[in-house]
Amino acid sequence: MKVVGARIPRYDGVAHVTGRTTYVDDVRIPGTLWVKALRSPHHHAGIEKMDTRPAEDMAGVHAVITHADVPLLEYGHLSALGIPADEPLLALDEVRYKGQPIALVAAKDEETAAEAVSKIAIEFEERPALTDVRQAFDTDAPKIHREGNWYTHFEDEMDHRQIRKGDIDWAFEHADTIVQGVYRPAAIEHAPLETQTCQVVPEPSGRLTIYSCTQALYFSMGVVAAHLQVPLNKLKFVGGTTGGGFGGKVDTATETMCALLAQKSGRPVKWRWTREEEFLCSSTRAPWHMEIADAVTADGWILGRKMLTLHDAGAYSRFSPYGLTKHSFHHTGAYTIPNLEFDGYVVYTNRVPTTAMRGFGVTSVSFAAETHMSRIADVLGVDPIEIRLKNANRIGDTSPNGIVYTDPSTVSTIQTIAEAIGNELKAEYRTMTNEPRSGEWLPEHLVAQLGNPEEH
Amino acid sequence: MAKHKGRGIAAIEYPTGMNQNGDPSQAWIKVKPDGRIDVFAGTADIGNGSKTIQTQIVAETIGVPYDWVTYDNSNTDSSPMCTGTFASRATFVAGNAALKAAQQVKQKLLEIAGKELEIDPADLEIVDGEVVAKGAPQTKMSVADVAGAATFGHGELITGTGAQLKPYSAIIDSETGRVDTPPHSAISYATCAAEVEVDDETGEVRVLRLQQCFDVGRAINPTQVEGQIEGGAMMGLGLGVLEDCYPYYPDVEHRGGAFGSYLAPSMEDMPQIDTILIENPSADGPYGAKGIGEMANNPQPPAIAAAVHDAIGVWITELPITPERVLRALGAKAAGGGEPRREGKKIVFDEELSVNAVSNGGMRFEVPA
Amino acid sequence: MNLTVNGVTHEVESSLLTPLLDVLREELGITGPKAGCHQGGCGACTVLVDGEPRRSCLLPVAYADGGEITTVEGLGSPEDLSPIQEAFIHHYAAQCGFCTSGMMLAGQGYIARGGTDNAAAIQEALGGHVCRCTGYAKIVEAVAAAARGDSFDLTETAVGKYTKMTTGGAE
Repeated sequence: MKVVGARIPRYDGVAHVTGRTTYVDDVRIPGTLWVKALRSPHHHAGIEKMDTRPAEDMAGVHAVITHADVPLLEYGHLSALGIPADEPLLALDEVRYKGQPIALVAAKDEETAAEAVSKIAIEFEERPALTDVRQAFDTDAPKIHREGNWYTHFEDEMDHRQIRKGDIDWAFEHADTIVQGVYRPAAIEHAPLETQTCQVVPEPSGRLTIYSCTQALYFSMGVVAAHLQVPLNKLKFVGGTTGGGFGGKVDTATETMCALLAQKSGRPVKWRWTREEEFLCSSTRAPWHMEIADAVTADGWILGRKMLTLHDAGAYSRFSPYGLTKHSFHHTGAYTIPNLEFDGYVVYTNRVPTTAMRGFGVTSVSFAAETHMSRIADVLGVDPIEIRLKNANRIGDTSPNGIVYTDPSTVSTIQTIAEAIGNELKAEYRTMTNEPRSGEWLPEHLVAQLGNPEEH
Repeated sequence: MAKHKGRGIAAIEYPTGMNQNGDPSQAWIKVKPDGRIDVFAGTADIGNGSKTIQTQIVAETIGVPYDWVTYDNSNTDSSPMCTGTFASRATFVAGNAALKAAQQVKQKLLEIAGKELEIDPADLEIVDGEVVAKGAPQTKMSVADVAGAATFGHGELITGTGAQLKPYSAIIDSETGRVDTPPHSAISYATCAAEVEVDDETGEVRVLRLQQCFDVGRAINPTQVEGQIEGGAMMGLGLGVLEDCYPYYPDVEHRGGAFGSYLAPSMEDMPQIDTILIENPSADGPYGAKGIGEMANNPQPPAIAAAVHDAIGVWITELPITPERVLRALGAKAAGGGEPRREGKKIVFDEELSVNAVSNGGMRFEVPA
Repeated sequence: MNLTVNGVTHEVESSLLTPLLDVLREELGITGPKAGCHQGGCGACTVLVDGEPRRSCLLPVAYADGGEITTVEGLGSPEDLSPIQEAFIHHYAAQCGFCTSGMMLAGQGYIARGGTDNAAAIQEALGGHVCRCTGYAKIVEAVAAAARGDSFDLTETAVGKYTKMTTGGAE
C-alpha cells in the first residue's frame, strides 16, 4: 500500500501553521451583530415575570428573543432513539441550572448587547436545589424535573437500565471473597481552545447560512430545523473545521438561537462564548457514582459482579440515557464475568446538563472496573497482571449483553506492556493467546457463558 | 517528608461507532476531466485528522497519488450527511463511506479504460495514477486520459457514492439487556502502565511516565494515531489528578471560570509517553482500521489510582486525586483508619461514599452477606 | 496611532485601551492570533512585539505603538514557510490548529532568545500555553527540532520519539 499506513502530513497542516485555517470566529460578514445571553443566576428557581422591553427599546439593539420566539420550544436531540424532549431551548417558567439561557440579545456591539441583557427585568422565586445523586431517590428530596428526579423512559418504560446474566446469587455463594468499592470520577470540562462560536447570515432567498463549530454538521442542522420547523434545505451549515470538540460541540448550544436572532433582526449575528461562559455554562462530562461488589475466588477468578451506577445528568436528559446504556454494555470492562446484576439510573440534579465527552459512558467504567481489579489483586495477594490475563476476554466469550467476542486483544496488549515494564511473566501467561478458552483457562463457571463466534 | 514512586496497570476496551449503531455516514466523489479526484463528505474534522484519513483512503482505493485528491467537508449543500465526529466513528464509519465511493469510481475508471484499451476491466488495475494491464505493464493508460476520454469521448461524468450504516441493534429483552446483533462496529483495546511519584508532605501526585499499548486495527496514518494517544493521555491525566468542574462536588459552588482556576493540564505536567501500536485488523473497517480517539483518555485514571496505592498504600477512588485527598487519606491511615471493613467474606471499601451512608433510604446497594 | 504588523503600517481607529488582539482581529482583519480566553490564560492570542512573545488579549494597543508586531501570518507563507512552521508540519504538532499560532510564536521567541532543544527548557518557556488536542509532546519535539536547526521533509511526518510500531495485520 502506498498511502494508507503512510505518515502523510495533515491535509490542512499548511493552513494551520500559516494562520489561514478559517474557524467560525474568523468569518467576517459586514453588518454582523453581537449576541449576549441572559442566563439564570440561580441553581433552581421559578420565573415569576420577565420584561424584555427595556432591552428591546435600547438604541443599538436589533432583536431580543425568548421562549415565545421559538416555533418548537422543546426538541429531544435523540428522540429518534426514544429519549423524549424535556429541555426548552430558552427557559419558559423555570430555570434548573445556573447559567441556563433565558433570553438573548443581538446588538450593534458586544458592550451594547451586554448592557441590554442587564436591562431585562426578571423576577425569580428560588427553589431548593438537588445536587447529590445519592439523595435523589429520597422522599424528602426536592423534585426538580417534571417527571421526577430520574429518567423513566428506558425500554418498556423502565426507570433504570438493567443487565442480568447468569446467576449472581450463585456467584456470591461460591465466592471465597466479596470485594466492594465505590468509584466517583468527576465532571470535567471539554475546554477546547475554541469556545462555542456561531455566526448566522439571513440570505435574500429566505435561507439561513449557519457558520458553526459543531462536530456534527447534519446532526446540528436537524436540531435547528426541528426547533424552527423548517425543512433541511432552508438551512446551510458551513463548518467542518472545529477548534477542538471532545464531545462538547454536539449539543448545538448556539445555532438555533442565532438562527432565530438572524431571522428576527434581518441581520447577520455572531455569538462567541466567553471563556468564562465556556467553563461555567457549557455542558460537561458527567460525574458518575458507581458501586461494585465482585464475587471472587482465592486464585483470582471473578465469578460475578453486582453494580449500581448513578449517572449525574445535570438538569436535563440530553444524551444521558444513551451514555448510561453504553456504560451498561461495557460494565465488565475487558473481562469475562459470567454472572451479572447491573442497575443504572440517569439522575437529574441542578447543575449544567452533562453531555458526551471523550469515552462517553465507558470512561467511567474503565476507571471503576480497573481500579477495582487492582484492588482485588491487592487484597487477594494475586499478581495484578496475572489476574487480568486469566479473566481477559477470549474468542468465544460473551459480553454482558450476550454478544460473542470474535477477536479481543486484551491478552496481547497486556503482554506487550508486561514486557515493556520488564515484568517477566510465568510461562503459561507468556504463551497465552486470545484463542477460545480451554484447559486451565476454562473453569467450570465460565462454560455456560460461551458463545459461537461464527454467529457474530 | 518523602517522595514515593509507584506503578499501576489498567487494561481496557472501547467500541467503535455509536452504541447500538444506526449511525450513517455518506460520501460522494466526482472525477475531473484531467483525472483529479474531488471528495465530498459531511464529516467534521475536530483536530482528529479525519480530512487526511478519508483522503488517504480514497487515494489508496482508487490507486492515485495522495495529492490528486481534494476533500471538501465545508458545507451541507454539497456534502452528504454524516452523523457526526464522535463515538470514535470517523475513521471506521465515515472512512468506509469514502472507501465505498472510491471503489465505485475505480470500477468506472476501469470500465472506461477497458473500452479504450479493448481489455476486460477485470484484467486492469490502477497503480499510481495509471491504469495498467495486469501482467502486461506496457499496456497502460493514465487516469488523466481515462477521465478525458470519459468526458469528451463517452459523454460521462464519473462519480461514486458511498454510505456506511450498521443497522440499529435493538435491546430485545429489557430485563437482561440482551441485544441480537453486535451493538458496535468494532472493539479496540489498550493497556497502560502508569508510573507516579507522590510527595507525602504536599500530597502532590506527579505522573512520570505512561507506557501504553494500543490495538488500533490498522493505523491509516500512524503519526495521527500517536497524536490521538498523546493528546488522550494528557486528558486522562487531567481526569485523574487535576481537573474538576465542581471542586466541592456534589456542591455546585466555587467553580473555576478561567484557565488557572480550572486545572487543564499544562506542558509542565507532561509525563514521558511511550506508545506501542499493534495492529489486529477489524473484520470490516477500512483496511482493517478501528477507532482510537476516545479510548485514548480512558486507561490513565485507573492506572494512576493503582500507582498511587502502590506508592503510598492508600486507595483514592474519587477523582481527581488531589493533594488534599492524598493528605487526608495518609492522615487517616496514620491514625489507624482507612482500612476496609471486613464482615464474613466481605471486604467493604469506601463505605462513607456509598448511597447507604448518604441517602435517607431512597436508594440502597445491598450485597448478600 | 499607527501599528506596524508584519512589516505593514496601519492607522488604528480603536481607542488606546482596546486590547491589541481585538484591534488586530476586529479592526484590521488579521485573524491569525486567536481569542482563546481573553483572560491571558491560554496563550492563543500570542504575538511577537519586537521579537518578544506577548499576550495580545492583555496588551492595550497603545503599548504596541512604535513596536514591530509579528503575527503567524508574518512568520511565513505557504510558498515560503519558516523553519518553525515546517517543524510543526513535520512533527505533527498541530491537530485542531487553534493553539498553533501562539505556540509557534512563543517557540520562535524562545529560539530567538537562544533557546536550545532541551525539552525541560521548552516546557518551561511555553508552559503558559494551553493545548487540549496534542498532549504537548509533538509541540515540544517540533520546537526542539527548530531550535536544533533541523531540515524538514514536508512529504512525511516524523515517528514519535517514544513510539514503537508492531504490525500484526497482513497487507
